Amino acid sequence: MLLPPHLSTFLLLALPSAVRAVFQDEVGHIDYHYELLGVPQRETTFFHRPRRDEKASLLYTLSDVGVLGAVHPSSGAVLWRHLLNGTLTDGGGFLRAGEGENWVAGALGKSVHAWDAVSGRNKFWVDFSGEVRDLEIMEMTENGGRKDVLALFDEEDGSSTVLRRLSGDDGSVVWEFKETTKDIPLQVSTNVEKVFVISLHGNAAAYNLKVTVLDTLSGKRLDELVIGTKGDVHSKEDVMFVGANSAAPIVAWTDNSLQKLRVNVLGLKTRQEFSLPAGAVSVEIHAPHLVQSLPHFLVHIKTASGNSADVYHVDLKTGGITKAYDLPVQRGTGAFSTSSDNANVYFTRITNEEIVLLSSTSNAAIGCWPLKEGELRSAAIYGVSEVVKKTGSGESFAVRSAVVTDTDDWVLVRKNGEIAWSRPEGMTGAVAAAFAEIPENEDLVKTLEQEAHSNILAAYIHRVNRHINDLKYLPAYLNSIPSRLTSSILGTEVSFKDGKLARDSFGFHKLVILATRRGMFYGLDVGNKGKVLWSNRAFDIAKGDKWNVTGIHIDESAGETTVLGSNKDHVVFKTETGKIVDAKAPEAQVSTRSAALVNTLSGQVLLAVGLDGEISSPPADWTPGQTVVTRGLGGELKGVTFVAADGAKLSPLVTWTFPVPQGQKTVSIATRPAHDSVASIGRVLGDRSVKYKYLNPNALVLAAVDDAALTLTVYLLDTVTGQILYSSKYEGVDAGKPIECAMSENWFMCSFFGQYGVRDDPDQIVKGYQIAVSDMYESDQPNERGPLDDSDSYSPLDPLDVPGAGGASTLPSVVSQTYVLGAPISALQVTQTRQGISARQLLAYLPDMHGIVGLPRMLLEPRRPVGRDVTPAEMEEGLIKYHPVIEIDPKSVLSHERDVLGVEKIITSPAVVESTSLLFAYGVDVFGTRVAPSFLFDILGKGFNKVTLIGTVLALSAGVFALGPMVRRKQIDTRWNAPM
Amino acid sequence: MRLLSTILGVCAALLATTTTAFSSSASSHNSQETQKGQGQVVSLITLRIPASNAIPNPYVLSPSTHATLSTFGQPRKTAWLSTANTFVLRDLPPGSYLVEFCCVTHAFAPLRLDVDSTGGVKVWETYRGHDWGNKGEAVKLSTEGVYDVRVLGTKGYFMERAKFNFFSILRNPMVLLGVVSMGIFLGMPYLVDNMDPEMRAEWEERQKTNPMNGIMGAATGQAGAPNPVGNFDMAAFLAGSSKKEDSGPATITEQGEQSGGGGGGGSRKNKKGKGQVTSTY
Repeated sequence: MLLPPHLSTFLLLALPSAVRAVFQDEVGHIDYHYELLGVPQRETTFFHRPRRDEKASLLYTLSDVGVLGAVHPSSGAVLWRHLLNGTLTDGGGFLRAGEGENWVAGALGKSVHAWDAVSGRNKFWVDFSGEVRDLEIMEMTENGGRKDVLALFDEEDGSSTVLRRLSGDDGSVVWEFKETTKDIPLQVSTNVEKVFVISLHGNAAAYNLKVTVLDTLSGKRLDELVIGTKGDVHSKEDVMFVGANSAAPIVAWTDNSLQKLRVNVLGLKTRQEFSLPAGAVSVEIHAPHLVQSLPHFLVHIKTASGNSADVYHVDLKTGGITKAYDLPVQRGTGAFSTSSDNANVYFTRITNEEIVLLSSTSNAAIGCWPLKEGELRSAAIYGVSEVVKKTGSGESFAVRSAVVTDTDDWVLVRKNGEIAWSRPEGMTGAVAAAFAEIPENEDLVKTLEQEAHSNILAAYIHRVNRHINDLKYLPAYLNSIPSRLTSSILGTEVSFKDGKLARDSFGFHKLVILATRRGMFYGLDVGNKGKVLWSNRAFDIAKGDKWNVTGIHIDESAGETTVLGSNKDHVVFKTETGKIVDAKAPEAQVSTRSAALVNTLSGQVLLAVGLDGEISSPPADWTPGQTVVTRGLGGELKGVTFVAADGAKLSPLVTWTFPVPQGQKTVSIATRPAHDSVASIGRVLGDRSVKYKYLNPNALVLAAVDDAALTLTVYLLDTVTGQILYSSKYEGVDAGKPIECAMSENWFMCSFFGQYGVRDDPDQIVKGYQIAVSDMYESDQPNERGPLDDSDSYSPLDPLDVPGAGGASTLPSVVSQTYVLGAPISALQVTQTRQGISARQLLAYLPDMHGIVGLPRMLLEPRRPVGRDVTPAEMEEGLIKYHPVIEIDPKSVLSHERDVLGVEKIITSPAVVESTSLLFAYGVDVFGTRVAPSFLFDILGKGFNKVTLIGTVLALSAGVFALGPMVRRKQIDTRWNAPM
Repeated sequence: MRLLSTILGVCAALLATTTTAFSSSASSHNSQETQKGQGQVVSLITLRIPASNAIPNPYVLSPSTHATLSTFGQPRKTAWLSTANTFVLRDLPPGSYLVEFCCVTHAFAPLRLDVDSTGGVKVWETYRGHDWGNKGEAVKLSTEGVYDVRVLGTKGYFMERAKFNFFSILRNPMVLLGVVSMGIFLGMPYLVDNMDPEMRAEWEERQKTNPMNGIMGAATGQAGAPNPVGNFDMAAFLAGSSKKEDSGPATITEQGEQSGGGGGGGSRKNKKGKGQVTSTY
């Protein structure tokens, strides 16, 4: 019997009262959040005035991770943003804005969309079957004010090119031009009366440029031109630039040896050649995008040592291109950007020393502002600028440039050479992260070691001297006492004046090492609101490539961090400073699938695992003592142990293989976390009997789906023997939606999207996101420990038929329950506390609600009684009646109102205090907080009002002091006035 | 103004397409349909957040508000909140969809949206964890051609911190008990003093037989309590002095002090120090 709906909602609201929420005053104190966009791409970033009649402009970008957003140029605050595809993308996409329009149009993958420029609300979103190759806005249209969108598609696997004109109001197709051809669609461009579709025609050996001229009104083909490239163009990347929307759009390419620049004015058959300076490494073209702007463009030439630029003018009548002037060579790469103000075109040159503003008509600088010393830490690669001509007092200009630096920061440089803001956009697209303890003061460790090794007297004298020497810190310490006292009373932050990192007694001060796919790594101070302490580039990763990190290992004793990549690359750096100690650049070939952190005789070591799950023989002192589980090419699991093959040399040997059954494919594997303390080996039931937990450190959960049968099978494997300890099958599971598992202590869980009939009544269909939770116990019966009892050791390799030793009898007794979840979850993780006394919480990212939720383990308990009320004994145990739904209560959202975008993974680490677990989430955004699953029972939180406490004590003391004399007087009076 | 124009636009689009829709199938009541493989794909369904008591102005909702459409075997679809406070769902193949709304500030009722093979669209409210067939109230297509979404309420992310409040301390039952008993303790002797002499004698007489006067006895200094409890001197006991040491005038004053106003009342009545001594023994 199902509950009536209104009652169930009521129950739901009543249920999560045990959930711990975040207090308003803890926001920003225990948590930190970097609201990021991703590194802006050169072509999809611009300043735009969202309101025609207002001067204020905003900065728009479609980043390399697929986030479209608007940023306030003066503060650097994000106004709105959208992760377009729901997941991180690898660059690409288009973003355009019509001059004076209050919307921006974007395209990514198969969809074209438009957004309100101020509010960030969607204007329209249309999906098509082909991939978008280019997007332009038609500045001039026949129907009055409306500006339309031109979208170029590559459809039917490259066999046809489609250009669609979409209405700027609702995205409906105005006209469509389709051409069935093998040509590669490149770009679309328009001038006032014509639309040009540029495609590559021919074969890969030598493409020619084909320009199809279309009518703006009907989309009918007017003309077709083929421009010979003399074999210079081999792929679409070779065509550098197709000037869009300027009065005379151009297409430009260079020859293979970068000696000649060839330019064609669209609509003409001729091309013009210009020679490039010797030693050019790369060439970029910058041109205005406005129709009313002068048809001028700038060629930015980079050489190995410096950069220079040439400015060209196009004659609108003849189509002739002439070189107007050139700019001198300067050191470094430099960055150029174009801005236009009606007809005027300005070029801004940003170097490490200065910002120079030039007009396109003359090479005399309009303005030159030196950058303040050390303001720009790293070199600008590219940027966008906004130039405002100040009316009134003569020729005065204001310029601001948003530049991307080579350390993946996005920086806004103001006219006076100051940095207005700097956004660490490089932290998006993080691929790996790990918590690290703050390295202890090495000097002290060294002196202590030295003392231990010298004789007693010398050591004593040394120590006394050291202590006398330490006295010099005493005045500073005494000085700091009042400020520390007041900050402690008022609850303000204690600032570390000397800037030195130090551990704190609560264990909240830790570092997070974050490695991104762009080859950068960062050190964040978790205790200090996630402040970026240092960042460094490990490798220069080519555009489109990724740094594939397989493992991070932090060597606490050496204070060094090792990051292992998939292409036989590694980097070793100092944990505290990020200084690279050793690095090896990635090779072209991917050779490593993953890396295993194993315990060896010489401590923990990262062991590279090959593509087929093979491990090459490590050095003798790096040989792991335990079984390493790897995955083969066919998806099978292998258990690799190290055995002495010949003499002392240990070599890897596959001891077991677990092939996933035919038709199934592995979707998720979960193991218990490396730090998974268990405080109690049993659970005390209401009747004082004990159910003993099945705590197998070698257990592993593998989830495999069958696409045809629509089933999910969860296997529990023993990693020493490869034996299946338990398996369960869920029917009606959607294999196309994310399936994820997590494991901790004696339980594991898997989340999936399911649709199936209930077993008792197949007519009742359950549909939605679900989570299946399983508990493992040593036996079905309480107070029973199974055949192993409390023996100190056992081997799963023992024969099955030996009574009381290993085998089938040691299989866990599993209790399972499935719940329907109020929202899909991903990036599952479990809180970790120091001793494991605190209850656990399942941490997960809510991809829809953009938050991180902490689901208490109590709520996910598989032993919740079904279909009846809880007995008093069960209530004592903390069980609540089973209800099929677990709604996501906003109070259990750890990231509360914050909009945490695109989290890929969550990591946790125990603090020193038992109650608290540290959380760090990365992906697009970076978010961290402290979680106390069983409330803060061992430290005073912010709710402990020290002011009130001290006030009460003071009031009481005042009362005592005031009443004391009164009482004494009364006593004396009583004695003297004693009636006799 | 913009809302109006957009609605008009939507209406126009619907009007333009209803003829084709009705010619192809009688059951479909909105939208334009195109034939794609088996089943008809519904090209446009609009869900709207209307202005309501919970959301007087839907334009202030966060731009990150979106609707997700999930069903078995198909990739999820996302529709962002538009400038007209609508979620526009395009090109839906036949199927039974779960529509959920994600908003930072508000919670919305999830919907079940069915597209049948002829392109007909039906929308109901749905309840999680219940039979999929157990539909809630059907959501009707409004005259503007949109389905309205029901808001459940605002989301509260934060816990309220208990504030320091003097009156909340006073409201504590333990404190209230203490205050009341203190009031009796201090006020009783005055009441007794102000009593009519006859009534008082009567009251004292009654007190002697009252078992409770063991306690009151110490306070009022009653002499010659008949029961053993009456002999117990609470004040002396609390002062930590044993009975044997309790002799002489020092004890008298001590008692006078300890029993507070009550002791005072008693001593005034007896006018003799000895009266108090007897009250002790």
